[in-house]
Amino acid sequence: MTPIPQVAPLRPSPKLALNAGLVIFVVLYAAIAVVQPNYLEPGLFMNFLRRAAPLLILACGQLYVILTGGFDLSVGAVATLAVLAASILINGDPDATWAVLGTLYLMGIAVGLVNGLVVAFLKVPSIIATLGTMLLVNGLALAWSGGAARGDLPENFRNFGRLVWRDVWLIGSLPLAVVVLCGFVAIAWWGLNGTVYGKRALAVGDNPRAAELAGTPVAATRIIAFVVSSISAVTTGILLGGFSGVSVNAGEGLELQAIAACVVGGAQLLGGRGSIWSAVFGALSLFALFTLLNLMGLPQALRDSIQGAILIVAVGATMWRNRRRI
Amino acid sequence: MTIIPALHMAGISKTFPGVRALDCVDFDCRTGEVHAICGENGAGKSTLMKILGGSYRPDAGEIRLNGRLVHLTHPRQAADAGISIIHQELSLLPYRTVAENIFMGRELARFGLLDRRQMNKRAAELLRRVGADIDPEGQVSTLSIAMQQLVEIAKALLLDAGILVMDEPTAALDERDAQNLLSLIRGLREEGVAIVYISHRMPEVMAVADRVTVLKDGQKIWTRARHAAPVPEIIRAMVGRDLKDFYPKRPSSGPGKVLLSVEGGANAALRDISFDVRAGEIVGVAGLEDSGKAHLAQALVGDEPLSAGVMRVNGKPVSIRSPRQATAAGIGYLPGDRKRDALALRQSVRDNALLTLRSMAGFFARPQRAALSPAAIDSELRDMDVRAADFGQEIGTLSGGNQQKAIIVRWLAQASDVLVFVEPTRGIDIAAKAAIYQTMRAFADAGRGIVVVSSDMPELIGIADRILVMHQGRIAGELPRGASEEEVMRLSLGIAQQEPREAFA
Repeated sequence: MTPIPQVAPLRPSPKLALNAGLVIFVVLYAAIAVVQPNYLEPGLFMNFLRRAAPLLILACGQLYVILTGGFDLSVGAVATLAVLAASILINGDPDATWAVLGTLYLMGIAVGLVNGLVVAFLKVPSIIATLGTMLLVNGLALAWSGGAARGDLPENFRNFGRLVWRDVWLIGSLPLAVVVLCGFVAIAWWGLNGTVYGKRALAVGDNPRAAELAGTPVAATRIIAFVVSSISAVTTGILLGGFSGVSVNAGEGLELQAIAACVVGGAQLLGGRGSIWSAVFGALSLFALFTLLNLMGLPQALRDSIQGAILIVAVGATMWRNRRRI
Repeated sequence: MTIIPALHMAGISKTFPGVRALDCVDFDCRTGEVHAICGENGAGKSTLMKILGGSYRPDAGEIRLNGRLVHLTHPRQAADAGISIIHQELSLLPYRTVAENIFMGRELARFGLLDRRQMNKRAAELLRRVGADIDPEGQVSTLSIAMQQLVEIAKALLLDAGILVMDEPTAALDERDAQNLLSLIRGLREEGVAIVYISHRMPEVMAVADRVTVLKDGQKIWTRARHAAPVPEIIRAMVGRDLKDFYPKRPSSGPGKVLLSVEGGANAALRDISFDVRAGEIVGVAGLEDSGKAHLAQALVGDEPLSAGVMRVNGKPVSIRSPRQATAAGIGYLPGDRKRDALALRQSVRDNALLTLRSMAGFFARPQRAALSPAAIDSELRDMDVRAADFGQEIGTLSGGNQQKAIIVRWLAQASDVLVFVEPTRGIDIAAKAAIYQTMRAFADAGRGIVVVSSDMPELIGIADRILVMHQGRIAGELPRGASEEEVMRLSLGIAQQEPREAFA
């Protein structure tokens, strides 16, 4: 084939894709600022981040699973379980908080292991396996709590979601949730970029059979992804408990929001493409969109419709782009 | 001399982002003619055929069928116009019956209900016509590749295709099935079908083609009658130079210590497998398609582990239950179906080359350091002469030869002791083939060993130091270097199975 001078790239490089997620967020946030100019103040921006933190963290966890070519539908249920379990186990006793936090993470890891083992060894498609664990975990959580919020969360637990330090130099205020968020994103980034895990996950998502024949520990890679996803769900649950208190539908619908966020940010469903920034900017964009709709007075229920539309458009666009590539 | 050809393509051009895939190509094919198209990978053969099949639209040029101008914008339209394309990758639905596949999209109906009886009957007729003894009600997945190919041809006949395009039809077939296919093609030619035959295999082109067209870099080099186109001329036109020293020279020194040995190996597909691979040696494995030779490769790399017998690497017994264990033991695998089994197509060339190193590294190994760094692998890719604009580019955009070289780099980087190649040059153009043979030889000369499973007999004879011939899951015999194709064929057919093994020279 004769190369033509000034070769046009076949598809945007990952750097450009990263910018696309960021661009959507900036545009949406600008729109918010037009409707409500005080969103440009550092304090309100920090508050925006604080409220977006649960979705961001959940999206980062979900991204691990999406990279390996799967879905994790159980995260919303795990977040609910974390909230309910925390209030029952702590029951208002501030001294129990730290021990219970550990217990919550152990529960999350257990759910992640179940998901991972079922997907990796029984070869059940992840969308079915995690749908199963979603129902299982939801049912257990409801049965345990008796179908209503029980117990109480002490102040030191709720601080994760609620505490805001005032008069911080430069940024004015700093919510603890934003610190947790940054910490989680940093660890998630390190997992994908600071270790060999990220590239293994991409290869597994792209072609699991080729990865296996090249010596990749495919099962372990998948299991780790589900465990990370569940850990993110527990973290999300802890923040949610602080925000809105104990409720039996604390994590409802979050799993789809997290998946939609990753897709908006440029991660490819069914695996093989995406970075931690897909999750971060995708989740920020999605949350900015929700905020904008809220400010414009659209009913809450429309959120779901819009999310559905985004999923279809995003996936459709990916498929269309892939076909055009021929 | 004004015969109107069944197919006439004139001035066809097609540009993809960054490449001119076809540059004003003329091509025609008459009824009752086999017209072969030869060219390296990327020469434009497949693009030309995809335009003919209605999958791509040309940027310029026109297509005439029996003199009538047509605009093909959809594969279905091409099919209705009597063009039938049999692709390299078969397009049958594995879990449907043969008859259902043949009638796919054109089912016969009676009163709005499927007329299975009629379909089975007509399918049986078509299958008889292609000389296949296949039950039309059987599931496609139970058929061998060769049989599936015949089903594809029967499907083409159902459409009453006046133009039949076959893209590397023998790539997945062994010698015996390939011969059957060629005689079937001759039969179809007698019936007045215009056949476009795309192949890398020169003996087949010589055996079946009436005319030969050579494409190179998207341009037509020439079209000649077969008798005016000897193989060396074709090859020179394809690669633009002579290919001397196609197969690398063998070293004068004998083989060294035993690297890999199998004693009494067996599993569901293999029985009584005993052989060894010495340092510096390339051991070929020949056999018909159902001989178990591919299973042998899969057993060595733990994909379909041996259930009995002892395997030793460097004299130490090893238990290999998974590809990961094989990799750890120093055995690397280069599968025949690269797209399915070897490549993460959407990842970069670099990531594909680093895949095994990264997979075997400790979990906390820093991905940017030492052997895992882009700089280290880039220099290995350059040494292997992998041609890509940028090693960060998706490996799916590379030609088959460059993809294979990148996979070789993957295992060289891992410093494996033994490499298991299956069909190392399937679908790879001639120039890249020579480079891959050189690399294999160099790998062996560096004191390591290679097992190469191939259906391409000249290749095996050219590259291997000795050849194990398999038949029905066993090693039927062993031939020293320089064996003839006839000897290999005799053993693969199970003739002279009791012949004592010839001493290794």
